[in-house]
Order: sequence, then structure tokens, then C-alpha cells
Amino acid sequence: MLRPDKDRPSAEWIRSLRARFPTESEIDRILTRKMERRSGPGYSPLPIEALIARLEALLHARLGKQSYTFSDARWLSGGSSKLQMAFTLEWDRPGVGHEKTRMVLRMEPAESIIETSRLREFQLIKAFEGRVPVPPLFWCDADAEFLPYPALVYGFAEGVTKPSAQRPDSGRNETSGVGIWLPPEMRAKLAPQFVDFLATIHTRDHRNAGLDAFDVPQLGTTQCAEWGMNWWDRVWEEDGDEEIPLLRLASGWLRRNMPVLDRHSIIHCDYRIGNFLFTEHDARISAWLDWELGRIGDRHQDLAWTTSRPFGGFDEDGKTFLVCGMLPEPEFIAAYERASGLQVDAKKLHWYKVYNNYSLAVLVLGTGYRIARNGKTHQDIVMATLLGIGYTILNQMREQIEEGR
Amino acid sequence: MQLRTEIQIATMIKAMKDVVIPAVDGKNDLALQQAQLVIGLLNLMAQQLPMQFRFDRDELQRLVACAQGLSAVQTNDAAIAVAAQQLAARRSAATAVLERCATDPAELTAAIRDLREATGALMSAAAGGQDTATLRTVENAVLALSKEQLLRDRSLMLPQGWEPNPAAVPAIDALLQ
Repeated sequence: MLRPDKDRPSAEWIRSLRARFPTESEIDRILTRKMERRSGPGYSPLPIEALIARLEALLHARLGKQSYTFSDARWLSGGSSKLQMAFTLEWDRPGVGHEKTRMVLRMEPAESIIETSRLREFQLIKAFEGRVPVPPLFWCDADAEFLPYPALVYGFAEGVTKPSAQRPDSGRNETSGVGIWLPPEMRAKLAPQFVDFLATIHTRDHRNAGLDAFDVPQLGTTQCAEWGMNWWDRVWEEDGDEEIPLLRLASGWLRRNMPVLDRHSIIHCDYRIGNFLFTEHDARISAWLDWELGRIGDRHQDLAWTTSRPFGGFDEDGKTFLVCGMLPEPEFIAAYERASGLQVDAKKLHWYKVYNNYSLAVLVLGTGYRIARNGKTHQDIVMATLLGIGYTILNQMREQIEEGR
Repeated sequence: MQLRTEIQIATMIKAMKDVVIPAVDGKNDLALQQAQLVIGLLNLMAQQLPMQFRFDRDELQRLVACAQGLSAVQTNDAAIAVAAQQLAARRSAATAVLERCATDPAELTAAIRDLREATGALMSAAAGGQDTATLRTVENAVLALSKEQLLRDRSLMLPQGWEPNPAAVPAIDALLQ
């Protein structure tokens, strides 16, 4: 069998994948860019001073010549897919005056476990300013005109992703937000906010949200689901190493059972514990992060993701599964329906649970392996570590497919 | 199984070089020296692991040959005779082991990859075809295969702590044939 060289893909093979798996135009652009650059160099550590010099060039271009002072620059951990550098900028902020502003630079490595568009991320966060807590956005360098790789600069938001208290009986791995536990009194305060913000996101009208980097799937058809399947099938072809017959089975099952889209919703696509900040003293959600996978699509995709097993855990009795460690799934769905006024279709929810696990398995076992082996990120060791969860995800997907047959 | 030692070692070396060592206090000679030794041993491990099996098989082959040569020893010394008999008995057992070690581990993993690929191709062909009865048959086989294999994959990864209910996953020792 003739195998394509995935580490040095030919232009012809890239063209054939684009033709075989049509998807949203911006998704096609960033996946094509990834493949065209694949044979290039891996990620090399960037000195903070060099990054600041490039940031300064970006500021000069955006704001004109003025004096900037950078201080307290340091790398942040967390966020498996992007480099994050915190810093303080002393500047004359337009409309505000002279101030010191704490900021975060969020930049892609040479290849990311999730290849996404900074422009889409920028537009999505802008669309929810004042509606959902999001970090203040300052600048976007979508095509790496100034910085080494595409990047966003946003304001530093106060808060934590997990409580300082730890579950005494837990040995679960909390890499990338998986398995975070919340004390009961904290979950009681966070859960209503968690549900309400999801409802707000899903009921926002996409037509006046400034989302021109997004394609809109046709209502009353399966186009939305098909674009999603083409996205992840394409990524598996591009990145997968060792074949997984179960993924082929899943792809076939998903394509035979694609749901019809009944309503457009803006969806976050990574709405879960670990992706929001909250202030511990009052358990208030202060910022929703990681909008990079968002799209205009089917609300069931978010609901299925949020209720995924790896993001939740069992309560203290060890019997009741809590969605994102906060509330039982039936309560979560009922609260969502009340808050959004939207119905939840159990069959579509099930389809998207399989779909989400499919995409997660592709990312973890396909892309994670490929980029770690090729030394493309700032934390290849995290990518390698995360390979281990791929089998738990695959097993859950297998059980879900068996339930749905 | 994708999380093999090769990728674990490669990413550990990169993390040490790119992140950990640059952050070590330049005045802490002991820490710097040991960090470099960690990299050195990881590099050595990366080179040794792919040939560990062949190395051991090669040594066993020569030990068996040596023992074969020593079987010609004739002596009236009782102690030497006992030791020579013991060597002959162990040579017999070692020869049997050597015969079973004909296949290289790399051939084993290549065969696994080939069969995974062919099974995946059949699954895709069945999923894209019109023969629903065959599709059902192939799906049943792939689901059954996956159930058993994933149990072993998850068991092997248990120390990482991903399983929501680790007690439900048997220990890997009990699962391997």
C-alpha cells in the first residue's frame, strides 16, 4: 500500500484532501497552511525579550509611535495548545489615559494540537463582550505579520481555573482541566452561572455579531454535521499515525446518522470546567477562555461536550456523575432548557457525544502524536502525556456507539 | 499503542533542554550537572531501547555456542563434572528460548500496524458500501476487537490517572497472555 509522507506532504496530496473533505473556508485555510508548513522547522524556544521587541512593533503599527514600558513578563502554564506570556504594559491607553495594564499574549506554536484561526477567536470574544465575562481583547496578529506565529493580546483576567482545595480521595490526572473537583458549596454557586452563560451564548443572534470569518450552515439540512465530520476526518488523514479501526467505524456510523440542524447557535465548542476563570472568595465566573474552536452550529455539540465524562466526576458518594463536577446531567439539561428556552433533543445529544469523542480522539491520538514527534510545540511532553487519555476516550465512544445501534 | 517509549523519551529530552535546564540556577552546579546527566542517560536509553532485544538475543546465541563447545569437556573431577552437567541442562533450556526468539520486536509492531491498517480499510469500505449485512458483521468484529484491546490500553495507562473509575479496570498483568 502506498502511504503518503505525512511529515513532508506533497502539494498534490494536500489538494486531494481539500477536495475530499470540504469544510468552512477559514478552517480549510488554516488546515492547508498547517500542511504547507509541516516540513518546516519545529518549535524553538523564544526568548521573552525577543517576543517583547516584536510586540512593540505590533503596538507601533496599531497605535502609532509612543513610549511603552513592558515589565513582569513571564510564561504561563496551562492551555495545552497555545503559548501564553503574561506581562504588564505601561502606556497611554486610548480613551483612558496613562495606565499600567496587565496583559497576556496568546500565540500559536509551530503546530498546535488544535489548529485554529486567531481571527475567528478574536471575532467570537468580541461578539460576547458585555454579554458573557470574557477577557478584554486588545490586538490580533492573525497572519503573524509582527509576531513569530499568529497571536492575540488580551487583558489579564483575575481568577483561577481550579480551587485551591483538593479532593482528599482523588488521584485523578488534572492535566488540561480534566477531572477538576469542586467543593460542594462552590459548585452550588458556580453551576447557575455556568448554565446561564451557555444559554446566553446559544441565543445570541449570529447575524449581528460581526462573525464574517464563519460560514453559516443551511438550516433543515445535515450540512452543519457534515462540515464537522469533514473537518475531523481530514485532520485524522493529515495527522494520524497508527491506524485505529474503531475510528473508521465511528466515522461511518456518524455519517450515516447525521442530524438535521433546526436552529443556528453560536457555539463555544470547549465549554467546560478548566476553561473559565473564577474568583475563589465569591465563586464568581470572571472570564470564559479558549474560544478558538467556536463555530456557528448546533447547540447540541456544546451540550454534549460539556457533559463529557472526562470533564466531570463523581460526587462524594461516588455514585452520581456531575457534569463538569457541578451538577447531575438531568439537572443540567433541565436548567439549560429553562435558561435558553431551547429544547434538547436526546438523539442529537447522543450523536454529538459520539462526534465529540471522535474529534477528541483524533486530536489526542492523531495530532498530539504527530506534533510531539516532530517537535512542533512548546510542550511536546504534555502532548505525549495526553496520548494516554486517548484510550479512555475511545472506549467511551465505543460504548456510546453500541448504545446507539 | 501510540504512547511508546520512543516518543516519551524524545519529549522528555526536549522538555529538559528547552524548559528545565534554562530555568536552573546557574550557580547550582550540582543541579546543572545532574540535569545534563539526565539528558545523557535519556539519549542513551533512546539508542539502546530499539536494539535491547537483539542485543540480548545476540548474547544468548553466543552463550549457547560457548556452552555447546564446553559440552566436550571430559574430566575425572567430580565437582567439574557436576557443573558441566548443569551447564548442559541450562544450555538445553536456553536453546529452546533462543528458538522462540526468532522474531524481532520491530517485526511484531510492524505486523500490528499492517493489520490495523488493513482492518481499518475494510471497515471504511464496508461503511461506504451498500451491503448492510456485511457492514454489520465487520462492525461487530471491530467493536469486539476494540473492547478487548482498549481494556488493555487503558490498563497500561492506569498510572497516569485518567480513568474515572480505576477500580473497574483490571491490572495489566492479569490481562496479558
